[in-house]
Amino acid sequence: MEEKDTFSYDPEVLARISALKLRAVNLVEGLLSGNHRSRHKGSSVEFAEYKDYSPGDEIRHIDWKVVGKTDKYHVKQFEQSTNLKCTILLDCSGSMSYVSPNQTGITKMDYARTLAASLACLLLKQFDAVGLTLFNDQVVHHIPPRSKTSHLQHILHGLSTIEPKGITRIDQVIGTLVERLQSRGMLILISDFFTREGDVHKDLKLLVSRGLEVILFHILHPDEVSLPFEGDIIFESLEDDPPISLDPQDVREEYQKAVQHQIESFRRLCLGLRVDYVFLETTTPLDQALSYYLLKRQSLTKV
Amino acid sequence: MNLNFLSPIFLFGLLGIAIPILIHLMTRRQKKHIRFSAVYLLFQSQKRSVKKAAPNRLLLLLIRCLAILLLSLALAHPIFSFSGPADLLPASPSASVFILDDSYSMGMRSEDGALYDLAVSALLKTVRKIPVKSAYSIVLASSSTRLLQDWTEDPSLAEKLLKTSKPSFQTTSIGKAMTMALQLLESATQKEKQIFIFTDMDKNGWNENEFLDSELANKRYPVTLVDFSALRTGQNRAAVQQAEVSQEFLTNSRVIRVKSKVANLLPDRPINGLDVSLSINGKQKSQKTLKFAAGEEVIKEFTFPLKDNEAIQGAIEIPDDALSVDNKRFFSFQPDQKIKVLVVDGDPKTVAHQRESFYVEKALNPFTVALSNIEPTISTLEELQVRNLFDFSAVMLCNVRDLPFDYERQLEKYVQRGGALFIALGDQIDPKYYNENLGNLLPVSIASLHQVGLSDEPFRFDLKKSAHPVLKVFKGKSLEEMKSIRFNSLYSVEPRENRKYTVPLRFTNQYPAVVESDFGKGKVILYVSSVDRDWNNFPIQPTFLPWIQRWIKYSARGLESILHSELLVGEAFEWTDTLSDSLLFVESPDGKITQLAGTSYDETFLPGVYRLFRKAGKENSATGENAESRIVSKLPDNTIPAGTFTVNIDTRESVSEKITEEEVRKLLGNMQVQFSSGADSHQTADASSGFPLATPFLLLVAGMLLWEGFMIRRE
Repeated sequence: MEEKDTFSYDPEVLARISALKLRAVNLVEGLLSGNHRSRHKGSSVEFAEYKDYSPGDEIRHIDWKVVGKTDKYHVKQFEQSTNLKCTILLDCSGSMSYVSPNQTGITKMDYARTLAASLACLLLKQFDAVGLTLFNDQVVHHIPPRSKTSHLQHILHGLSTIEPKGITRIDQVIGTLVERLQSRGMLILISDFFTREGDVHKDLKLLVSRGLEVILFHILHPDEVSLPFEGDIIFESLEDDPPISLDPQDVREEYQKAVQHQIESFRRLCLGLRVDYVFLETTTPLDQALSYYLLKRQSLTKV
Repeated sequence: MNLNFLSPIFLFGLLGIAIPILIHLMTRRQKKHIRFSAVYLLFQSQKRSVKKAAPNRLLLLLIRCLAILLLSLALAHPIFSFSGPADLLPASPSASVFILDDSYSMGMRSEDGALYDLAVSALLKTVRKIPVKSAYSIVLASSSTRLLQDWTEDPSLAEKLLKTSKPSFQTTSIGKAMTMALQLLESATQKEKQIFIFTDMDKNGWNENEFLDSELANKRYPVTLVDFSALRTGQNRAAVQQAEVSQEFLTNSRVIRVKSKVANLLPDRPINGLDVSLSINGKQKSQKTLKFAAGEEVIKEFTFPLKDNEAIQGAIEIPDDALSVDNKRFFSFQPDQKIKVLVVDGDPKTVAHQRESFYVEKALNPFTVALSNIEPTISTLEELQVRNLFDFSAVMLCNVRDLPFDYERQLEKYVQRGGALFIALGDQIDPKYYNENLGNLLPVSIASLHQVGLSDEPFRFDLKKSAHPVLKVFKGKSLEEMKSIRFNSLYSVEPRENRKYTVPLRFTNQYPAVVESDFGKGKVILYVSSVDRDWNNFPIQPTFLPWIQRWIKYSARGLESILHSELLVGEAFEWTDTLSDSLLFVESPDGKITQLAGTSYDETFLPGVYRLFRKAGKENSATGENAESRIVSKLPDNTIPAGTFTVNIDTRESVSEKITEEEVRKLLGNMQVQFSSGADSHQTADASSGFPLATPFLLLVAGMLLWEGFMIRRE
């Protein structure tokens, strides 16, 4: 783990990192350098609310002035500002490497990379700890969470060395990872969710039950949503599916339906699990998407 | 086992197989490869989609190729048989005469071109297989029978001669051809001798008279008749049998009449609506739709106004049927022809009005301009020898005592060929001379002179309304005027034995006034009184002018038939010596120009309008009887049109009646006659000799197409 904190200064990688950093910093600047408020009430200077005393509460937290006035025991509660430990789980399976033949938009991998970098940057600026885990059918690379500002370099390096390949097995990855993850942390999962396994929701449930706050970023290229190709085409899989020859026109309707169904089922699943679900197409400007999401999130948490 | 094709040309359709292959290759090239992320979703979608998996392109290609292959095979009419066609020729050296019926009825259509083409290819096929040391010769059996190829052992000669040949426009004459074949066989050295006849068995070609004088009775050669009539497709529905053109000759009307006769050749079916069209100088002028009862002949007249004096050439046409030769008939016409009349004055006087011809000349051409289209030339008897009779359309003998020695013969020849002779009597004539020397021309003999005194009641015309073409215009007032004409002298006539004549006009005492008779192509008119005022006062009557003009025009009409003779194909065009002082050229419908020699031209093998040209002066080299007609590349300068004549087919053979085998055997006497179907020898096999595969192939094509459609639908 330790040797991964340092990396070789490959000029190409460096260039990619700096570009990534620039993009991430640009994105984060101007956004709310939001304070993550912990839902756990604890010792802090900021008063949150009163609560009826119940046995087990610390006696030093009883507000005696209120007892004097009302003859009832109230416990003073304070907001606790915690140091968040966040793990960014980035899918680097083959399907993420899709490049549109029409050259529209940036690649999914670049988009996901920038997103991950931005989030890492954002979190580190708040002095939260950020880690990065790359996976396909298994964990490819893991950078444990740190809150040092310089940790961003490691993350960026990790991001820039990704070579998308292999198939996606989210369940396996989460299965192995869940032990390592601290409960009460945050898990950001960035993927195109192009996996044939049907029970991602089980893994999500498992994560949520461990007290993890989960955010799903579902990233798709517009081509993958609308299947805009014409003519007889042989589709070769970026993962392990056999090639298929067809006229996209014939299956377009069914395909679009299937994709929409997948998105909708994720949305519904996440709503049920109180998991944040963000669907992004690579043509959506990342800063807009991110700021919108963060604003929305803030408004939800600041009740 | 044998697989033959009736229409092998369709086998070129096999090249069409390239089309699906090209399509296959082109569509293959268009296929793109895309590396895609959600391929498993595509699989799912494809399973759910109505249009299922892409068809197997190779299978599709195979089906398409097979469909095209089978279609072209089916169109080529394959016939499958277990045995090949029988050989006509014996294996040992022999001498064979091939009689090829090249009459126009062989132009009937079959599925595979004209019958003639089938006959030619059957003949060639037989010739190709001719054994070594066997000789053959070819005789063409249309009515101008000719030897196409004398004895030879070289099969390629026949090929050369017949490959591009076409049926003639003449009728069949098997009899003449047989006679020629027999003569040929006499000269052959081989032991075995036989005759082959390739024909459509048209009854018209088997004329009994032609077989009678041949030596058929004594000969016993084997004769093989190859009959192509069964291969005919379609019927010869109708034929144009006549197209006659005329201008209303007695008036100067500018209307041309074309009389057409079209016959329905179907004996058992009517034709409702057959378009009969008239075309003039290549342009369609009018069209009439006629109805025909079964076997009916309809005569229809077309009339059209004439714009100028140009010669017209035209044709009557009906729509195409199985035999196209008889669907068009040509005619030509020179309108407003000037009638040149030679007036022979038998009583010339120095005082003009005392001449016999004075009134006639004035009546024929009153204003010395060409109003009447009659141009009289006055001649005395002495001058007659220098006049050329054939320069004139009509000759008038006015009170001529007698003709120069042997001039009657010339006159006879002249009238025979269509000239008109008008004889007016008078005080100078010698009835004895007339009765003795003009006996051939005149159907009556001149009996006696009848005269009445000035105070007595004269002879008068017995005038009734007459339908005679000359007299029908005289009615009403003019008829009354004519009744007042006084005839003081006239000759009575007596009929000769066995001579036909008509009397269009009589006197009140029923003596004939005018005697009309035909002689050859021409007409002879005898007027028993004089054409000057010696015997009557007719010449000073206003009716004299139209009366005499109409008689001349009427009688001179026959001459047109010389210049516009209508010939049948193969008939010789004959002309008179009179034209021999100039060079004559004839241009046939195919544009071939022939310089003529002698007095007849018999290269009339093409139907159509032939144009005559003449050039004054004669080349020294082309004089005398020895000179032969020769083809020239173009008309020399300074030629002038001299007329036209039309050549049409003899429609006898349009009605295709087949001669029976019994009749043929009877006509061929002792010959061993064997009948063979043209279908067999042409190797084209009818259904009986093999199994036609066209229908099963077509069914397979349909099956392939259905399968292909099904596969594409699945796509």
